[in-house]
Amino acid sequence: MAFAAIHVPDFMLQAVVRAEPDLHGRALVLIEGTPPLEIVVAASATATRAGIAPGMAKSQAEQFRGIEIRHRSSAQAHAQERSAHAALLDLGWSFSPRLEDVAPDTIVLDLAGLQVLYNSEGTIASELARRARGLGLSASIAIAAEIEPAIIAARSFSGIALIPAGQESERLGPLPVEALSPSAELLGTLERWGVRSCAALAALPVLDLSERLGQEGVRLQAMARGEIRRSLILAEPAGSFEEEMELDDAVAELEPLAFILGRLLDQLCARLNARSLAVQTIRLRFDLERSPEKNIRTLEEGSRQKPGASIYENNVTLPVPMRDSKMLLRLLRLKLQADPPSAAIKKVVIAADPAAPRSTQGGLFLAGFPDPEKWELMLARLGNLVGEANVGSPELMDTHLQGEFRMDRFEIVLKEAELARNGKSAAAQEPATALRVFRPPFAARVELREECPVRIAFCGARAEVIAASGPWRTSGNWWGDDVWQHDEWDIEIRCDSVSAGRSASGAREQNPAANSEASLRDGMYRIYFDGLRRSWFVRGVYD
Amino acid sequence: MKYIELHARSAFSFLEGASLPEALAGECAKHEMGAMALLDRDGMYGAPRFYLAAKKLSVRAHIGAEVTAADGWRYPLLVASREGYQNVCRLITRMKLRAPKNEGHVDEQEFIGNSAGLICLTGGDEGPLAHALAHGGIASGIACVQRLAELFGRGNVYIELQRHFSREEEARNQAALEIARSARLPLLATNGVCHALPQEREVLDVFTSLRHHRTLATAGRLLTRNAERHVKSPAEMARLFRDIPEAIANTGILSSRLEFTLKDLGYQFPKYPAPDGATEMQFLRARTRDGLLQRYGGADEKARRQMERELALIEKLNLAGYFLIVWDIVRFCREKNILAQGRGSAANSAVCYALGITAVDPVKMDLLFERFLSEERGEWPDIDLDLPSGDQRERVIQYVYERYGKLGAAMTANVITYRGRSAAREIGKVMSFESGTLERLTKLVGSWGYKDASETPDRQFREAGFDLRHPQVRKFFDLWRTIQDLPRHLGQHSGGMVVCQGQLDSVVPLEPATMPGRVVVQWDKDDCADMGIVKVDLLGLGMMSVLEDSIKIIRDDYGEAVDLAHLPADDPSVYSALQKADTVGMFQIESRAQMSCLPRLRPKCFYDIVVQVAIIRPGPIVGKMVNPYLKRRQGREPPDCLHPSLEAVLARTLGVPLFQEQLLRMAMIAAGFTGGEAEELRRAMGFKRSELRMKSIEEKLRAGMTRNGIAPATQDAIVQSIVSFALYGFPESHAASFALIAYASAYLKCHYLAAFTAAILNNQPMGFYSPAVLIKDAQRHGLRVKPIDVTCSEWLCTLERDGERDGENFAVRLGLRYVKGLSSAVGAEIARQRSARAFASIDDLKLRVAAIQKSEFTALAEVGALNFIGGHTGPAAVHRRDALWQVERAARHAGPLLESPSAPSSLFSPAAASPLSPMTADERLVADYRGTGLTVGPHPMAYRRAQIKGRGIRAASELGGLRDGARVRIAGAVIARQRPGTAKGFVFLSLEDETGIANAILTPQVFRENRLVVVEQQFLVIEGLLQNQEGAISVKAESVWPLSVARVDAQSHDFH
Repeated sequence: MAFAAIHVPDFMLQAVVRAEPDLHGRALVLIEGTPPLEIVVAASATATRAGIAPGMAKSQAEQFRGIEIRHRSSAQAHAQERSAHAALLDLGWSFSPRLEDVAPDTIVLDLAGLQVLYNSEGTIASELARRARGLGLSASIAIAAEIEPAIIAARSFSGIALIPAGQESERLGPLPVEALSPSAELLGTLERWGVRSCAALAALPVLDLSERLGQEGVRLQAMARGEIRRSLILAEPAGSFEEEMELDDAVAELEPLAFILGRLLDQLCARLNARSLAVQTIRLRFDLERSPEKNIRTLEEGSRQKPGASIYENNVTLPVPMRDSKMLLRLLRLKLQADPPSAAIKKVVIAADPAAPRSTQGGLFLAGFPDPEKWELMLARLGNLVGEANVGSPELMDTHLQGEFRMDRFEIVLKEAELARNGKSAAAQEPATALRVFRPPFAARVELREECPVRIAFCGARAEVIAASGPWRTSGNWWGDDVWQHDEWDIEIRCDSVSAGRSASGAREQNPAANSEASLRDGMYRIYFDGLRRSWFVRGVYD
Repeated sequence: MKYIELHARSAFSFLEGASLPEALAGECAKHEMGAMALLDRDGMYGAPRFYLAAKKLSVRAHIGAEVTAADGWRYPLLVASREGYQNVCRLITRMKLRAPKNEGHVDEQEFIGNSAGLICLTGGDEGPLAHALAHGGIASGIACVQRLAELFGRGNVYIELQRHFSREEEARNQAALEIARSARLPLLATNGVCHALPQEREVLDVFTSLRHHRTLATAGRLLTRNAERHVKSPAEMARLFRDIPEAIANTGILSSRLEFTLKDLGYQFPKYPAPDGATEMQFLRARTRDGLLQRYGGADEKARRQMERELALIEKLNLAGYFLIVWDIVRFCREKNILAQGRGSAANSAVCYALGITAVDPVKMDLLFERFLSEERGEWPDIDLDLPSGDQRERVIQYVYERYGKLGAAMTANVITYRGRSAAREIGKVMSFESGTLERLTKLVGSWGYKDASETPDRQFREAGFDLRHPQVRKFFDLWRTIQDLPRHLGQHSGGMVVCQGQLDSVVPLEPATMPGRVVVQWDKDDCADMGIVKVDLLGLGMMSVLEDSIKIIRDDYGEAVDLAHLPADDPSVYSALQKADTVGMFQIESRAQMSCLPRLRPKCFYDIVVQVAIIRPGPIVGKMVNPYLKRRQGREPPDCLHPSLEAVLARTLGVPLFQEQLLRMAMIAAGFTGGEAEELRRAMGFKRSELRMKSIEEKLRAGMTRNGIAPATQDAIVQSIVSFALYGFPESHAASFALIAYASAYLKCHYLAAFTAAILNNQPMGFYSPAVLIKDAQRHGLRVKPIDVTCSEWLCTLERDGERDGENFAVRLGLRYVKGLSSAVGAEIARQRSARAFASIDDLKLRVAAIQKSEFTALAEVGALNFIGGHTGPAAVHRRDALWQVERAARHAGPLLESPSAPSSLFSPAAASPLSPMTADERLVADYRGTGLTVGPHPMAYRRAQIKGRGIRAASELGGLRDGARVRIAGAVIARQRPGTAKGFVFLSLEDETGIANAILTPQVFRENRLVVVEQQFLVIEGLLQNQEGAISVKAESVWPLSVARVDAQSHDFH
């Protein structure tokens, strides 16, 4: 029995270079972190020679000439690493179905039976290395009779290492104990003992070692001696639950696309079903055709896609795991209607993040609750109608800026429970003067006398200010981009008779969402002067 | 219309105000407001600074405080009279002393009988009226003001109105108007000021976030609504309250009612209870006479005359009690065998010398008494007492508390301000920077002494990986700069104590210190001095502890008694060591700069040490006085006293002014300053915050000198001499006091090296050098230092008889305190158990010292402290790895049966030798430094000497024999890196090898080119030209590179 370990050194860098072959041999640097501090986490040999080292700040690395910088946290980099890992797995599976996925950069194959196809283990190793190169990866290959020695050797020796059975201890002996990946505490003890190599560790009396370092020490020593035996933890080929379809002709209509999606979802759900799993999140990715004439329709404002993007991505996170492909398809259709791709589709990829299915039995005394799947469907339909950002529970934000709110995911159970916990109910809230807020606010023209509004014009109407109270001054967010500075007034107005008739249509033109009734009447309004934009606006009307 | 701001908070409301009191007073003056009231939260913290700043600007400083009530709201109280001030101080003291820090409050009942002289406002958001309205509407509001009127009197309650453009506030104002009408109480407009300028609102928001442990992004409505709480002009306030003009007019009326100022504190120094019905003066005369006899044998007429002169002045100024109180403290120290020495200007007084307060003979040294006490100045003399740091000093402090009562004595405060790193960390936190960014930003704010012109913030940030153009980084930087020096919290000054006749709490509020049993006044020592409160500084000095410990060790081990007061005055070995700059460990003369000066100054007598202590100070260095003095001393330049009239003053320092006293006399002689004006000059010198003040004094000086016919060029030289001392003046008496300690430390080191070394090692951290350097220096002087060994080491370093040596008969045994990570409790338990019975084995130690942690056990083994356990010595001793091997098993939890001390030892497998190889010399070195920060074995460089000799690298000891200008290479462990502010970007390095210490100087350019190597490497090779200036040897570096030596974790003294 023999095992081959395949290790891709500098995996993060290789993943990037594999996707962008132009970078080969260049001074490439990977960074991680969030601005204003981003740190170098990997540097290619050329970059290292130039003086860049991991731990440097991005701005320090930028001072070197000709340095290519990539952000490791970007979606693209993650995809590149996933893709490199998938390629590594493909390489393994192309040789043997018995494969262990040790780490993103390391796999182990069971070579049992392969000697029939290849003359020797050396040939196998060379072939593995050759195919890895074909996949754009430069790998170290080690073949040994046992799994752990093979992994240790692949990670420690570059190129090909063949370790004959019985010679494990001898070959691993010169390696530093760090090659065995001990815990930091154990490594500290070994360092204090002066035990620096695998050979030195292997030479310690096992009973004494057990007395001192326990089973972890004994296990580590067995690894150093190449004596540790274990079974392969087989990787499931379909662990990623991804289905994709390249299309001969790009699809520009929703119906044929739905047909394709339906097929892929069926396959996906069948695979999940076989492993007793369900979908928690669906990740939809389309490769788009660049040709502008095949655009489905122009992008709406607020869409997350950039015009001209060649990839469309949309993720759907479900409230509960489900695997009803029909339900999933309906959800995807609604999502696509609300946020359609910007061009015709060449390739469809659907990936599912699996989760354990929902247990159907809820709490015995739980109040009746809509079926979560239907509930999600309804929210998606609403989102399709009014825009996703406008569906949910509005929640006032803790700020002096009037009326700021955010939309929370609508969760009826939680909200009720919260109210019950706090011993409050909607009816118990004290009544307050209601202000109908115009969103967005109306632009206005305001005439001042002695710094006080005396006339106002907005929505095509003009009015006299018969009483005014203010200014009520707020400002904030001075540390961020969205700084504001408002002087609010509460005013009572009397509309000029000639303009009253015009204002209804004017209001609707300016703000289709506005309540036409509110923007016309004489009454009490809240207006404000935006000190940064130097303009007046009408925020709302008091009931 | 006249408007006075009567409700302002400063940054001394700790995180509730954003401007210093001086800034508020400045804004007030700018708006031509005649007065302002400062009402900080539960304290008078900022009052002295506000009072002094306002006085200078001709603004009346009204004082008051916002006092917290039980429900968290606050009574804004204005002080109208001294009685009111005393009432509010006592109220605050009571609430502070009975509750944990920042949690106290007053109860309404406490105002009954204690509200006289106070005016109560109804407050803003946090005032009593707002609280009442929020909880019960108008009815409750009316009840609230009626209650206030009952407590403070109808005429002493004002309905306060504030307008910050807020709906809620205006609604409250309308209610307040209604209440004022119904209760017929006067209205008062205020702006509830929290910052001087509108833009400082940002700082206030940062403080609010810090106070609530939020970030700016999550603080929400806790932050201010707008930037309206700044100091507004009377016109602006009048416009805001144009509908209620009486609210504005009342501010002027109320201001005129507030008669109290801090000038009228009513402080009295305690009286000393002289025995047998004698007056204080009679008792003082008697004590001085006794002292005169003891010090001078009664025959010194000059001393007697001087003392009479001083006593006459003391009597005239009624200061006898003060001298007796200090004498009493010194007497207590003598009785308890606690070393105490007065320093500062007290050393100018023969009376202090006679009373035993100081050890410097001012008559013999011809010191200027007026520097200590003058009739003209009308202020308390300043006496500082140096005491051994630690427990001994605490005993003295507790004695003062006992003697004057809890409310009669207190420590002065130390206002901790936002500075450098702490400011960066806190701002970064509120700006939601993640931990990595925060760490880098914090590090960025380094402690570099000098910044050259090219070291702009922009460059510094860029080098640390930040771009100042990034808006967040820029905002961070601006905020960081703005909050520098704003108060953060109140700490306790290390030694300043104030005492009072009667109740100190009616002079200034007191609060509990973090340390149990301590009470702190709300003012720092400068504020206390400014307010005329007598302060005695009881300062802890590490070297005093070393001297005291040395004396004890000498007494116990050598069997000799050393009396510091009677040391031989001209000990040749002391001066020989000083002339060779062999001064590691000696007080005040051990730094690199001192060492480079000593061979040139070549001290020959005590006064030379006084000069030596004073000359290496920023003042003389900036004033370029060092070189002229040294040249004149060596006879290479004639003395030049600037002007014939100054000869009497400057002759003793060869025409170079080195001491503060000389500058005072120069001003008096050359410019005709009176004593008072000279005092003003001295104050300006020590007054760090006012260059303007210095400027005006310079003009006055020049005018005086012109009147006295001094030529402009000479004037320039005199002014230059004086201005150089602006920030760093050093009095001669102070230098003399320090010189005494320096001499004593040098004497003990030269004659009792083992005792001195053990004592200094037991008092670390202190001084300029790390323990590793101190040990290597002692070893070079022939002392044997023995390693830590659990079979004989105590917690502290001790002496052992060492018959192997001819000179020093004692060796120092390192104490267990040097094992990093070993707790003092475990260390003490090891010593205790061992004294009962020797440890038979490592297992035995584990069983008997049950509290020992595995990491502690390992640390002991790693540094070789377990090698001799079980009586093994010589070749039979286990080696460190044997011990580590055994410890690893012994430290494992074996279960209750096997761990019982009564368990039969046969249950343990025998402690056979380990299969591990002994540590190599290099490994032992690394383990020594890692485990103790030092080694008693050979210096790391000794291991490399053979290899580096071939590379032309010279040992430190060889440099003295080389000619000036020779090209040399030196190498060693960096023990000090310095870049003093006075050195224009030059960097000074000290490299230690096995033969001694070599110094190197790096030009700014060489430093820039080798910055990383210089700052980060522990061992360096430096090549350059040798400079030998009369025995002061250094290498002017041309190139620097790292030297690979075992990775020892050596400590260096960097950029302090």
